[in-house]
Amino acid sequence: MSAPTVSVARPPAGARRRKQRRRAWRLVRRTAQYATLIAGGLAMMIPFLWMLSTSLKTRVEVFSSAPFSFPTGLHWENYTNMWFALPGVTFGTFFQNSLFIASMATIGQLITCSMAAYAFAVLEFRGRHILFALILATLIIPFQVVLVPNFVLYRYLPWPFSDSGNWIGTNLPLWVWAFFGGAFGTFLLRQFFLTIPSDLADAARVDGANPWQIFLRIYVPLSRPALATLAIFQFMWSWNDLLDPLIYLRDLPTYTTTVGLAFFQGEYIGNWPAMMAGALVSLLPMIILFLIAQKYFVRGIAISGLKG
Amino acid sequence: MASNTVKPVRLAVARLGSALPGIRRAGVSSVTRAHPRRGPRAGEARWALLFLAPTLIGLAVLSAGPILATLAISLTSWDMLTPPKLVGLDNYVNLLGDARFLTALRNTFFFTAVSVPLGLVLALGLAVAVNQHIRGIAVIRTMYFLPLVTSSTAIAIVWLWIYSPTGLLNHAVAVLGISPQRWVTDPTLAMPSIIAMATWQELPVNVIIFLAGLQGIPSDYYDAASVDGAGRLARFRYVTLPLLTPSIFFTGILALIGAFQVFDQIYVMANPGKPGGATITLVYFIYESGFRNFHMGLAGAASWILFLIVAVFTILYFRTQNRWVHYQ
Repeated sequence: MSAPTVSVARPPAGARRRKQRRRAWRLVRRTAQYATLIAGGLAMMIPFLWMLSTSLKTRVEVFSSAPFSFPTGLHWENYTNMWFALPGVTFGTFFQNSLFIASMATIGQLITCSMAAYAFAVLEFRGRHILFALILATLIIPFQVVLVPNFVLYRYLPWPFSDSGNWIGTNLPLWVWAFFGGAFGTFLLRQFFLTIPSDLADAARVDGANPWQIFLRIYVPLSRPALATLAIFQFMWSWNDLLDPLIYLRDLPTYTTTVGLAFFQGEYIGNWPAMMAGALVSLLPMIILFLIAQKYFVRGIAISGLKG
Repeated sequence: MASNTVKPVRLAVARLGSALPGIRRAGVSSVTRAHPRRGPRAGEARWALLFLAPTLIGLAVLSAGPILATLAISLTSWDMLTPPKLVGLDNYVNLLGDARFLTALRNTFFFTAVSVPLGLVLALGLAVAVNQHIRGIAVIRTMYFLPLVTSSTAIAIVWLWIYSPTGLLNHAVAVLGISPQRWVTDPTLAMPSIIAMATWQELPVNVIIFLAGLQGIPSDYYDAASVDGAGRLARFRYVTLPLLTPSIFFTGILALIGAFQVFDQIYVMANPGKPGGATITLVYFIYESGFRNFHMGLAGAASWILFLIVAVFTILYFRTQNRWVHYQ
């Protein structure tokens, strides 16, 4: 930015003029810098802005007006139309379904990943390195490879309340897995646990605490930022997932927001205002979450480099 | 197979530890305490088993086991209604003669080969641009980071509208005197259009990783370079770039694996009954043959081919790191 400048003794008047010129030059440069950064940021935002502007126009307006013209009126009815567009369900149902699945998956991951991470970071046992490497290996394996056998597995797991008599058509396959550990969460939390000084655990151990107590009373409370990061990521992944809900959910009332939106898109081809309203509404919860918890997102990625 | 993947991954883990400044301290090899048999820590193995029980069950039932199961299923003909019939390698042979599969394969490679380098270069530039300590930079960064949290489904719908015949892009190119294009339905334009969209969406992740890397470079290095008379470009070339190679390596592997798995955008953009299927990818093919047409054997075989491709590319990629990645 400001390179160190070599100052040589000069007559006072010249020095003042130089200083002024330098200050002016810096102002110009700063302004250009801001302008470039903000222009780039707005360019990144174009799809969002266009989504918003389209969602408030009428269908006729969308095709007749200039692309970035302001809508003639704010046609909020696109939102209500979209919300009630599908027979028998509203987008509220999809939201509820997504919220339930994402919450359950998040809870499951928080519990089981933190337990596994604790074992890998703190406990000593034979085969720890190999096992941890094995867990990490699953991070690199494309999950589609297990798609078919998992589908078969869930098809044989009985469930009395579903039409099929098994887990297909229910939301169970979308969150029960989360109660059986996960590579990302284990990796993320282990890295964090390793930064907690082992003196704390040693002291507690001398006082007669068992590993479970050390885990619950020392590691969990001290790891709130890392747990928050994991929670936010898992919530986001579950909320945004398309492939799994598409495979397992069969009836409209059980759809998640993403599947509902994709279905809606298939039904309303050409109705861009309604579709943009739907897309925007489906994105809103995550955007709000991001604005509130941006630092956890950024930290999580910086530490683990994962998004999914 | 599992044992074959372990070795490069252990290497990966060892490298990962030093790839990012925040976790360097916590590298795998740094924890090499003895295993006391007696004393206060005796019996920890039993505790470990307790803590790891859910994970171990998950590993066996939901990931490691199913990988082998996929292999077994790929050797059968199975529609899930009648019992599976063993057919040997027929599914693999059939796939190699299946025009739709070959299209999916070609598209997946094309998508990966273009989107990964493109995404990395753009993200690098952007990261350098937003790595400034100026007032309001947090707000500016938020604008760049926003695509991060969006679902590819909703985003693909928005871009479908941008690319539509009356959409934004055609308005934009009209200014340049270019006639309206069919960005998504024209077979030659479809993949580039999808790549542009995916690159836009993936940009923030890469930027954030690069930013973390940039902020981990000690400012002394820049000062020293400046004293030696290095200009802005030289500092980037000889300080920033070499010290950022671990981040670039790391982002590269994630982008590579992610690119091979592209599905959501394809589903939204290619799904609505487009006959040619110009943009189907490998994962879309797996979804289609397994869960639309119920050829589980075929889907299994395609999954294994995907797995092998990712494994081979991951290993090859790790092999190259000695040549260009500099760890401090």
